[in-house]
Amino acid sequence: MFQTDARQGGAVTDVRPFQIRGRFLTAVSLQPAGGLPDAAFWDALDEKLRQTPHFFENAPLVLDMGKAPEIASNADFRAILRELRQRRLSAFGVFNATDEQVAAAEAAGLIRISLGRDAPLPSRDRRSPAGRDPKRLLPPDNLVIERPVRSGQTVMADRGDLIVIGPVSSGAELIAAGNIHVYGRLRGRAMAGVHGDQNARIFCHDLDAELLAIAGLYRTSDNIGDALRHCSVMVRLEGESLHVEPVGGTDADTARSKR
Amino acid sequence: MKEERGNSKVIVITSGKGGVGKTTSAGAISAALAKRGHKTVVIDFDVGLRNLDMIMGCERRVVFDFINVIQGDAKLKQALIRDKRLDNLSILPTSQTRDKDALTQEGVKKVLDELREDFDYIICDSPAGIERGAHLAMYYADEAVIVTNPEVSSVRDSDRVLGLLNSKTAKAENGEGIKAQVLLTRYDATRVENGEMMTVEDVLDILAVPLLGIVPESQAVLRASNLGVPVVLDEPSAASRAYESAVARLDGEELEIKIESERKPGFIGRLFGRAT
Repeated sequence: MFQTDARQGGAVTDVRPFQIRGRFLTAVSLQPAGGLPDAAFWDALDEKLRQTPHFFENAPLVLDMGKAPEIASNADFRAILRELRQRRLSAFGVFNATDEQVAAAEAAGLIRISLGRDAPLPSRDRRSPAGRDPKRLLPPDNLVIERPVRSGQTVMADRGDLIVIGPVSSGAELIAAGNIHVYGRLRGRAMAGVHGDQNARIFCHDLDAELLAIAGLYRTSDNIGDALRHCSVMVRLEGESLHVEPVGGTDADTARSKR
Repeated sequence: MKEERGNSKVIVITSGKGGVGKTTSAGAISAALAKRGHKTVVIDFDVGLRNLDMIMGCERRVVFDFINVIQGDAKLKQALIRDKRLDNLSILPTSQTRDKDALTQEGVKKVLDELREDFDYIICDSPAGIERGAHLAMYYADEAVIVTNPEVSSVRDSDRVLGLLNSKTAKAENGEGIKAQVLLTRYDATRVENGEMMTVEDVLDILAVPLLGIVPESQAVLRASNLGVPVVLDEPSAASRAYESAVARLDGEELEIKIESERKPGFIGRLFGRAT
């Protein structure tokens, strides 16, 4: 199943305001049979959703009208859409539809889709719809560094967590797709969740960082404040702000007295 | 690495930052090693600037240099200058008319291998910076002495150099670590007390490598270099004693590190056990 997608270029550095690109995406197709879906139909669908709760959640969905010529009015489509949305299924188009159905569906906010070819969902992909992304198929690759990370060095864990056992000097950079742990003093920069993982966190034994960032949101040393300097901290994203809090039972005073 | 002298050591004296006392230290360390009875040679890698031969007081005796040897224009024995004060100390001066591009990795290796056959210690005086000259000076080193002043930019540059030592040297590429130690120079106890200079603890905390010694800021150092005498061969001073004890530790002796100040003779600073 495919669709073209015009994506707004979000980068500030982009000269053009947008980019247009062809994008392929996998969508789930739902083929109702017979007349307007009734309670039994929705019960059966609920049962199916229960079996694989995460598979269908917010999955792009198209309606295959090939076996339901009776569904033709705008009200029918609106009713179906309402039910689907309640089940967190996002229907966006119809195919195999008659002209009459297309007109009614378009009035309900669906688009007409013409298909290249049809294929059943391969059974091995049933558990992970995103499994087609090759990056997702690779296991995480965590990186453990057991010596000081020095000024001018960059250490990157592109597919996992980065664990540093030793100090990280001012002018050094830690970059990780996942979490960053520093068992030592962190004086340099730490950037976690660089591929956009907002659940990534930074843990460090002794905070004295120049910059902390998670999923692109950052704070420099000026904005981190002195209260937690030289403390064991955890940094995480809370909504749209970076949250630095003590962790590991060390309060600010004991951490300071360690110095 | 050669059969007869399996224990010959190549030690690079480096810092990243300029003006911290690399050449002075290279001269003092090599003279002190020679005084201790080791056959020592000191090589000037600072192609184009050529200061080591002045510090060693042999600038008028330079005929052939390191670059001539690398390029095959002269034999190593022709370029080596034997010190007039210590006959087991030699100097391999560099060229003043060429630049660092004249150094080649194979050339440096060939010269070092040849020197390993005759000398116990080969001291490489690195140029400032982290470019070609500094890189080649450290590339074949077995050990490193990082010369640092107790001052933030010097410490940061030293940290950068430590990173390079652990990634861009023959030993590092072989997966072996390179033994690196800090030599703190131009240390002024009074200014440290006043908070104008970093403390030894702060420096070591950042660099996370053992301390080799602390050389106090001293008039004797400037005097000695103007005379063309390595400070340890000049009249006794706090600086010369500091270099001698640092070299004793470099040579494997276990000594406590004292901070001696020139201004208040006899003042013994805090004692530091050697970090391991």
